[in-house]
Amino acid sequence: MSIATADKTAPATHRFAWLRSGLHIIGQSYSMMFAAALLAAVLLLIVLVPLLPGYDPYTQNLAVSLAAPFENIDGRTYILGTDTLGRDLLSRAALAGRVSLLIGLSAVIISLVVGVFLGLVAGFFRGFVESVVMGLADLQLSIPRVLLLIAVAAIVGPSVVNLTVLLGLTSWVVYGRVARAMALSLREREFVLSAVTQGASATWNIRKHLLPNVLPQMLIVGSFELGQIIVFEASLSYLGLGIQPPLPSWGMMISEGQQYLEIDPWIALLPGIAIFMLVTGVQILSQAFTSEGQFDLASPQKGT
Amino acid sequence: MTQASPDKAFLQVDDLHTHFRVRGAGWRSETLRAVNGVSFSIAQGETLGLVGESGCGKSTLGRTLLRLNEPTRGAVYFKGQNLVGMGRGKMRAVRRSIQVVFQDPYASLDPKMTVGEIIAEPLHINNCYRPARVAEMIDCVGLQQDAANRLPTEFSGGQRQRIAIARALALGPELLILDEAVSALDVSIQAQVINLLKQLQKEMGLTYLFISHDLSVVRYISDKVAVMYLGKIVEMGAGEQIFSAPEHPYTQSLLSAVPIADPSYRKQRQRIVLKGDLPNPLDPPSGCAFRTRCFKARPKCAEQEPQLETRATAGHLSADHVSACHFAEPVVPDFMKINTNTQTAAPALRSGAILKA
Repeated sequence: MSIATADKTAPATHRFAWLRSGLHIIGQSYSMMFAAALLAAVLLLIVLVPLLPGYDPYTQNLAVSLAAPFENIDGRTYILGTDTLGRDLLSRAALAGRVSLLIGLSAVIISLVVGVFLGLVAGFFRGFVESVVMGLADLQLSIPRVLLLIAVAAIVGPSVVNLTVLLGLTSWVVYGRVARAMALSLREREFVLSAVTQGASATWNIRKHLLPNVLPQMLIVGSFELGQIIVFEASLSYLGLGIQPPLPSWGMMISEGQQYLEIDPWIALLPGIAIFMLVTGVQILSQAFTSEGQFDLASPQKGT
Repeated sequence: MTQASPDKAFLQVDDLHTHFRVRGAGWRSETLRAVNGVSFSIAQGETLGLVGESGCGKSTLGRTLLRLNEPTRGAVYFKGQNLVGMGRGKMRAVRRSIQVVFQDPYASLDPKMTVGEIIAEPLHINNCYRPARVAEMIDCVGLQQDAANRLPTEFSGGQRQRIAIARALALGPELLILDEAVSALDVSIQAQVINLLKQLQKEMGLTYLFISHDLSVVRYISDKVAVMYLGKIVEMGAGEQIFSAPEHPYTQSLLSAVPIADPSYRKQRQRIVLKGDLPNPLDPPSGCAFRTRCFKARPKCAEQEPQLETRATAGHLSADHVSACHFAEPVVPDFMKINTNTQTAAPALRSGAILKA
């Protein structure tokens, strides 16, 4: 009856209220708009360029090696020029962006799932489980991540999947710690206690009450981590332990271009700018969802 | 003390202790006796008001009855079954019959769930979800049906407390523990929620344990009143006895603080102002715990702990009225004199009429 008439405020609008208010915040600040523009440019590069005619990241043509941006050779314009082997840099930058973003997002998802699970379990059960999980986290933090990744990558061999899993499994600590801290406060909240008095199991409380309440914060941490992981992947690829040729990666493109830094600086500069635009865009935008405080657990939500 | 056999009383609590280990100075761990030997019973359909100042253990007592805190020793008989030490599976079945409404209407509702989901949650947990039951609960606490699709953030404190009551009642409990359930609300909203609680009690035959520090609210809703001080009950009896003829000095001082609306009477009243704060519960005073703040304290109080028992003093009203004071003596509180408009008539006889008025 009246439940049907209440569809004007369907639950779906509540679920995405944070997105709407996020967009609202972006519209109000120039730095946010700037960040959104940076991100949009990178996404356009990644999504649109491979659809254009002339997209060809692999074919080598030594006749056009080291072409300058917008140089027209044999009736073809290389918008961003070519590398030493005469490959089209625009195509390679676009493909490299796809690879970087795929690795970054997958690694963030892996670390988020692992970290949130361990953190919530540790924070909810306390005691022995908490000691073990937090001990693991401290252990992880005590080992420099670059060294660990170099060692493991050298052993298991560098591949896209290996790299993604490794990056994912070594970045869970941030999520784990934040999730545990929030679980510690949430488990004493009255809505969790009242579920306990109704006979709810620990699994129920973690799934129904803790997870939905920590997830927004975790996504913010994730957006912050995404930038870091992409930079990290770029530095590993730069060292030759990440993406293997001929698959391009922004980090590898920088390392290839550094030999020609004095004569053709754009080869190293372009992927560097792309990384900067993506990471800056993501990091500034992630603040749009934090600064307003709608995810701030500490402040009680006021209703009238 | 009521000595009804455990299988007869609805809820009977026997010598309940809940102690916490607290890290003290250095390596020593100290024991905090939050609930320190409490016994009482509630009959079905009755309301027991539990009063006391902050930190006296009244909330811990409520949480212990819900098994949110594990009791150190003692027994809680709910319809003849001892809840203390009960296994998890059996406890799950009993939990449906004992529900709670907490003080903070902002922390007690999950901000990520709609009101409909919140009220449906206990039903889902116990695998007995029916949409009609949710609609019924929304109705019976006086909310609009379209509330179901809205988030708790859209509601005021009083409405949120109604939602919390609807959630607590969804499983059809028999005992409701109201832990400061109206303390966070405006006075006008308090009255609405209390009237709702009274009405629900009448309709569903609910039994209430009403925990509060607000004496006027307790007086309005309770059949029986227990006064707690430092983990122990110091006085207990029927509501009108406690309010018209308090025997324990602590109860008397509490009642002397009840506000009087009429300014002309305000000057006449004798306030009993207690010295100091609640003593450190880690290191309670010897003998009577209240003696450090008591205006009647004598050497005997430090030596011998007074038992909670019927005091054979003049003007005593009922055998159910028990107090833990060596020098218990009923005194008519000032606000009772004014409310009854007479200083001589037996207040107990009058107060019943006031409660109904």
